[in-house]
Amino acid sequence: MQALLQQVVSGIAIGGIFASLALALVLIYNAMGLVNFAQGEMAMLATFVAFALISRGVNYWIVLPVTLILAFAGGILIQRVVIRPVERAPILTLVIITLGLATLLNGLAGFIFGYVPRSFPSPFSAQTIDLLGVFISYRDLGVIAVSGLVLLGVYLLLQHTTVGLTLRAAAHHPEASRLLGVHVSWMLALGWGLASAVGAVSGIMVAPILLLEPNMMQSIIIYAFAAAVLGGIESPLGAVLGGLIVGVTVNLAGAYLPFVGGDLQLAVGLAIIIVVLIIKPNGLFGRAVARRV
Amino acid sequence: MTALLELDEVRAGYGPTSVLHGVSLSVPEGGVVSVLGANGAGKTTTLRAITGGVRWTGDIRFGGRSLRRVSTEDVVRAGIAHVPEGRGILTELTVDENLRLGSYLRRDSSEVRKDYDRVFEYFPVLKERRRLSASTLSGGEQQMLALARAFLMKPRLMLLDEPSLGLAPMIVRSIFEIIRSINQSSRVAVLLVEQNARIALDLSTHAYVLEVGRVAVQGESEQLQGDESVRRSYLGY
Repeated sequence: MQALLQQVVSGIAIGGIFASLALALVLIYNAMGLVNFAQGEMAMLATFVAFALISRGVNYWIVLPVTLILAFAGGILIQRVVIRPVERAPILTLVIITLGLATLLNGLAGFIFGYVPRSFPSPFSAQTIDLLGVFISYRDLGVIAVSGLVLLGVYLLLQHTTVGLTLRAAAHHPEASRLLGVHVSWMLALGWGLASAVGAVSGIMVAPILLLEPNMMQSIIIYAFAAAVLGGIESPLGAVLGGLIVGVTVNLAGAYLPFVGGDLQLAVGLAIIIVVLIIKPNGLFGRAVARRV
Repeated sequence: MTALLELDEVRAGYGPTSVLHGVSLSVPEGGVVSVLGANGAGKTTTLRAITGGVRWTGDIRFGGRSLRRVSTEDVVRAGIAHVPEGRGILTELTVDENLRLGSYLRRDSSEVRKDYDRVFEYFPVLKERRRLSASTLSGGEQQMLALARAFLMKPRLMLLDEPSLGLAPMIVRSIFEIIRSINQSSRVAVLLVEQNARIALDLSTHAYVLEVGRVAVQGESEQLQGDESVRRSYLGY
């Protein structure tokens, strides 16, 4: 029983990481109906920026907010330079562009930082603490706390600030929002910045576990897709819950299903995507969309 | 009276199809002007040209300043509230959030609070439904929300696109009474597009009748109401 609970808690920790990246995907999907395949690579690049700062001796707790601000600015830059010129292109064009962007960022990171996996520091010790008989590592608790704070911050921003209100308005109803004086194009850029910063959190949290290298996020993005699809690709709350469910499921499957082990965990993530798309294509919190044809 | 809004030989259209073939009209400060005409005459396109929703040539001036190449957002911020065809309700958001999007650019917070009180006096139903999703409102309630939101923007000019569309006659009457009261107490000018000529002429002081993208007739509303030939050939009552 205790072993099970321990696996659940580490599942929640890794799930928080998936949730951050899934939330980033949902933010951009809501803003423009586009799945951003470059989200993972954007997070990876931000993590390299954090790594560069940390290896120059800057304190972790200064590096974290600085990196998030840089990731935010980078997201806005990408939207203005790469996405905006093709904003009105067919969705398939946009998807190909995000795929190209992913390849580009991956190559760029390899070119600058090389492909040798590097160990990334965690500010939390690997020691465990006894919570009611369950041994939980400070590292898991720390990851849960940081992801939780970020997700709470995004929730408060979207639901309880004027900027959040105009962001949601612009994402769902661009034409009507313009008539209320909302600068829709800038709101889209802001959405990309926000998504980029939230995604960067997942990269920085996962790097101490996986080792940092340009392909680090390629498995994480699959889990994030699974989380977003499970939650209903339009729902921020769904993305977060989806992330936690996927994290716990994958962790338990790895621990208790002998044929899954560590090798087939990614397949579990893919299986979740397929099963959700077959049984409940709108996910847990998505709404059915009727389209006139 | 000085003109708040002036359209001068405005031509506009969608892609290769041109809809307006040189429309000129003006709305005085604080006045109510209606634009009448059949389906496809260019009434909605006239409003869309003003707020930059369609490309146009000619000139449009608001408060003496040309709106050429001004973005929709900035036309709105200059003081024009446009309640579009279909009412422009943000159905993903709550009633309260819709209202807040009307007032979010204003800095006179004590005035805003008073305006909210007035809005809820005009439309008590909106107060009851504040926390609900705007998608749960009926057509009439959505029209009320759209008007309330436009009022909260504290505009100098309101553009109203067929506020009577799809509503029961009794609701139409009460909505038009409120438009009159908003116009009189706040000195907001109103440019009203309507198919329901009778009720529009009752409210406005001046009217333009569009026919296939041109102004066919214009004049004092009372005079148009009294002119039997105009009524028969253009207004259909």
